[in-house]
Amino acid sequence: MSLLHLGWQWFRRRPVLIAAAGGLALGVAVLFTVLAVFNGFLGALQSSIRDFAGDVVVQVPKRSERPLADYLEPVRAVPGVASVHPRAVAFGMVGRRGARAVADLRTADLTGLVVVGIDPDEAPALGADPALFAETSEPLRPPPGDADVARAAPSPPPPLVLGRALAERLGLEVGDVLEVVGFSGGEPRRASFRLAATFATGRFDQEMDRALARRADVARLADRPRGFSDLVVRAKPGVEAAELAARIEQALASASLASHERPRVRTWRDLGGQLLRAAEDQRGLLGTVFFLIVLVAAYQLLATLLLTVTEKKRDLGVLRALGATPLRVVSFFVGLAAVVGAVGIAVGLALGAWLVHDIHRVELLLGGGKPIFLPEVYHFTEIPTDVDPASTLVLVAATFAATLLFALVPALRATRVPILRALFGR
Amino acid sequence: MTPTAPVSSVPPLVAHGLEKAYRVGRGRLPVLRGVSLVLCSGELVALMGASGSGKSTLLHLLGLMDRPDAGEVLLDGERVDRLGAGAAARVRARRIGFVFQQFQLLPELNALQNVLLPRRLALGRLWWRRRRAETAAARRLLEAVGLGERLRHRPTMLSGGEQQRVAIARALVSRPAVLLADEPTGNLDRRTGHEVLTLLLDLARAHGTAVLLATHDPAVAQACDRVLRLADGELVPPDAEVAPTP
Repeated sequence: MSLLHLGWQWFRRRPVLIAAAGGLALGVAVLFTVLAVFNGFLGALQSSIRDFAGDVVVQVPKRSERPLADYLEPVRAVPGVASVHPRAVAFGMVGRRGARAVADLRTADLTGLVVVGIDPDEAPALGADPALFAETSEPLRPPPGDADVARAAPSPPPPLVLGRALAERLGLEVGDVLEVVGFSGGEPRRASFRLAATFATGRFDQEMDRALARRADVARLADRPRGFSDLVVRAKPGVEAAELAARIEQALASASLASHERPRVRTWRDLGGQLLRAAEDQRGLLGTVFFLIVLVAAYQLLATLLLTVTEKKRDLGVLRALGATPLRVVSFFVGLAAVVGAVGIAVGLALGAWLVHDIHRVELLLGGGKPIFLPEVYHFTEIPTDVDPASTLVLVAATFAATLLFALVPALRATRVPILRALFGR
Repeated sequence: MTPTAPVSSVPPLVAHGLEKAYRVGRGRLPVLRGVSLVLCSGELVALMGASGSGKSTLLHLLGLMDRPDAGEVLLDGERVDRLGAGAAARVRARRIGFVFQQFQLLPELNALQNVLLPRRLALGRLWWRRRRAETAAARRLLEAVGLGERLRHRPTMLSGGEQQRVAIARALVSRPAVLLADEPTGNLDRRTGHEVLTLLLDLARAHGTAVLLATHDPAVAQACDRVLRLADGELVPPDAEVAPTP
């Protein structure tokens, strides 16, 4: 028999204490869910940036006439580099060929996108089929008609892989021809592509504004005669992007490049900096706001324990009469708060885990069958979640500490109840 | 049964000139006026007096649940009436047993847990090392009071007499030098009261515990070794003591 056992018995038999634990559980569950969603959102955002930019991007100036090898070799030799892929990136607008939208660039039907030209070996990292990006790949849909007509027909347009969301919006199906207008300074350049496949990443922004094509085709669109516009560098595990970027800059500085040939080295964090920082700030702000809710729940426990001191005055008197020192009474009340806190936190974590696990169902439930977080606004087709053990630990520790701290007030009051008044009302 | 404690030459409980008054409105109501007494080891003493004569107040002062305005209380020769709250609590836990008229059992704990409570409070961290032995001793005490089959029963599942038996076991579990009982049979019918009283006195004798028992009942007083009478806050001088009427 321990005093904690007595605390547990008090807890079990007093609905007001169970209600206090319930309040704590709700606060913890909400905070746990909010943190998981924001961590998931940040993770998705980071992964979105890193998928596209790798860990470090070496952006080669357009005026540089140096061959690819002059940049590729020094970067490959840098310690900590896992892989380097040359890319050609073109910014442009897309529409279905023959549609009125393409004929008139001022129409709102055109959609802006980034066409990323890659080599076949990089395709798997972006979730695409390498065969689609090989220069020798066969036409995906043979031109209609007999063999002679097919032979006489102009060669089919090069393949392009589009995000599923954008393909659906444009009403495109695999095999359809689409036209991209590239803006690389000067006159716009037009190029026809055939939709070879679509990709779905679950991230609405990627699916709406990204297209993958063969590097050589995109280089033509981007007016990059050397066939590349930047190098995407992936770091070995454990190597920080900033550290790697510094090493690459150092390696390129000693590669005897003229000033107009010197590339710009940027980390994935530089590329997505403002958005990431904004999201991180928002996570911090929301975390603080929801922790205040948890504090309110812990404060409510203070009021409940004060009530318990009044209601259980006689029992406290018995404990004191039988030899409980004031310190032991304090520790008993702190122990009681620990029981309430532990139950509240455990239930809250379980509830939060369920909410995170079934977040989509909960979202539909709250939205009356419609999603609350619109993909067009929040840039993901499903709410991303990520339970971070470190922030969960901080949440549990802070909630538990607040609970124990608030229990000190009723605990001290309990020690001041005179024994005789407690036992006999005198 | 626990063996009888060795008899010490120092009386376990001595009180000198205890005075206590309560504030009533703007005035003060004296309850005890210079009460002195000595309780010898293993002695069973009845404290009699009319309602309001100060019996309970005297027990509370002797049990360190309240402080006298004047006078002193010595337990085993050590002055204890001016101890701080923590030290007084430790003395209560180890050296004084209480039996209250209203039983004062904790409703959430069963009989065995109620009996063990003073030991848990007295032993602190040592409890975890000695809990088996202490539990065994508490079981034996409950068996001695006839509740060996009711160890896991909560107070609400026990009759008044059974609850008072649990309270007696709880008072004796620490093998205290002094047991203070405030009308322990006041809430029981005559037959049950007699049984409980007999049990209390038998066990106290067996443990060598000095008992001071406040009562209105002359029959209860008759079962004790000595009777002290309290009137208007003063003890009737020993030479004026009268034998309890049967």
